Amino acid sequence: MGKRVFYVTNNSSKTRDEIVSKCSRLGYPATRDNILSTAYLTACYLQDIVFKKKVYVVGSKGITQELDAAGIKHLDVGPDPMCSDVASLLRNEVQLDKDVGAVVVGFDEHFSFPKMVKAATYLKQPNCIFIGTNTDEILPTEFPLTVPGTGTFVRAMETCTNRKAFKIGKPSPYVCEAIIKRHKVDPKKTLMIGDRCNTDILFGTRCGFKTLLVLTGVTTLGEVHQLEKSSNKEDQELVPDYYIDRLGDMLPLIS
Amino acid sequence: MFTLISSLSKSFSYCGENALRSIRMSIKNLASLSRDEVKNLFSSIDTILTDCDGVLWLHMKILPGAPDVLNKFREMGKRVFYITNNNVITREEFCVKCDKLGFTSTKDDVLTTSYLTACYLHDIGFKKKVYVVGTSGISRELSRLGIRSFGVGPDPLISDVATLVMKDFKLDPDVGAVIVGFDEYISYPKILKAASYLNHPDCLFIATNTDERGPSFINDCVIPGTGSMVAAIETCAGRKPFLIGKPSTYIIDAIRKRYNVDPERTLMIGDRCNTDILLGTRCGFKTLLVLSGVNTLDDVMNWKQSDNEEDRGLVPDYYIGKLGDLLPLLT
Repeated sequence: MGKRVFYVTNNSSKTRDEIVSKCSRLGYPATRDNILSTAYLTACYLQDIVFKKKVYVVGSKGITQELDAAGIKHLDVGPDPMCSDVASLLRNEVQLDKDVGAVVVGFDEHFSFPKMVKAATYLKQPNCIFIGTNTDEILPTEFPLTVPGTGTFVRAMETCTNRKAFKIGKPSPYVCEAIIKRHKVDPKKTLMIGDRCNTDILFGTRCGFKTLLVLTGVTTLGEVHQLEKSSNKEDQELVPDYYIDRLGDMLPLIS
Repeated sequence: MFTLISSLSKSFSYCGENALRSIRMSIKNLASLSRDEVKNLFSSIDTILTDCDGVLWLHMKILPGAPDVLNKFREMGKRVFYITNNNVITREEFCVKCDKLGFTSTKDDVLTTSYLTACYLHDIGFKKKVYVVGTSGISRELSRLGIRSFGVGPDPLISDVATLVMKDFKLDPDVGAVIVGFDEYISYPKILKAASYLNHPDCLFIATNTDERGPSFINDCVIPGTGSMVAAIETCAGRKPFLIGKPSTYIIDAIRKRYNVDPERTLMIGDRCNTDILLGTRCGFKTLLVLSGVNTLDDVMNWKQSDNEEDRGLVPDYYIGKLGDLLPLLT
């Protein structure tokens, strides 16, 4: 139908290439250029502001590899567990790198107290940039468990630094700017399709897109109706223009 | 001139009956009062609750005169309680720390949030198991009161998140509460487990305190506090915890269940307005701010002038440079 399709994801653990592989495996054609993931967009943001220093990353290789691709220096990621006790950690083990000028907090399965100390200490400097890749509180799962999302780590760090992170992913405006600027997209002729009202639909509303909610993920129709009835203006921004049970249901309507 | 404002503590258990509290427009500098005025003040006080870090000591260095002032209070027949949001040690260990710094104490004088958390569960007749994101300061106090718990210590991610979710972790059906305190072993598996237990609405969610950071005293490092661990779990659990420590008024409920204390004849001494002084205001105590810790007189003056009623609850009745400055006024 001649429409440009972009995959927009708050996932910060994968590089665009990894997302392309995953999409292909699942039968969705994709190239790097139509992937907008938060690891990639974080690197874009740092390039946009002509960042020349080093980044301390509380996150995964998804982020550091995109930083590498953008020529941005960073410290290593991976496990950084408590080895001794708090006093020894602070006295001997925290060696800060003077060239760090930003802290990026993304999804980090190796989140730990030593990482919190380092990130918070770097962020004591007001000119150290504080970036959160996204604020999704949980990841959807069919298991009867709660799987914490990046929002968990970002809130922990905002609390102990008493600073707010600059947010990259939906529903923050940066993704809008990046899409509109880099890909010359006309918001009025753009449709956002998502499963989560407080990220996808809110993002679409704020960008001036039309919005379509699919009911195969996080938000239920019941929740949408509640938002519709809400007298809170902010809740109205979460209400989609359209909804459908699942994306596949559109096929007969458009063929 | 006095301003009457309604109590800021509407929702707190003890203070509901005290509908109005008068706030003096002038906060008094204790050091500038006459000995008679100081004597009158202290003759209207039976119980003294004192915060520790910033009042009695600062980063393990005694604040001069503080031990003598506490001893003087006791000589005057006042009951003195040490109140601390510290939850990584038991009351006995806290007494050892006090003793090293020259302060007399017995465990009955000490109210740590680890002990108070155990008191709370005991008071509500809690019989299930507790999942603890915290230290043995908490688990040992729980065990003393016959409450079973687990979770303390390292719990790093061994494989990956998918394996943890699909295979490695099974919910223990006997868990009826999650307690979050300071945990230097905070990890993704712990946050996942806590939040998963908290999925059940009848699982209690308790936080020892919400201090965002500890005092930074080594190499200028920021020490993330319990508040940041609580924030992590609150965020993914989508729930707020019941707060044990200052400025929550649970402390006064716990004290009154165990000791004969009259809030109107109680003085709260602290260095931090949004925990110590706020607690005092909410409970109807008299409040004394020492300027040897977190807050300054400028902070207080800003809050006094604020249009926001809640800010005025942060304003103490009295202030003094440091606790030791009281000594000449009491002798």
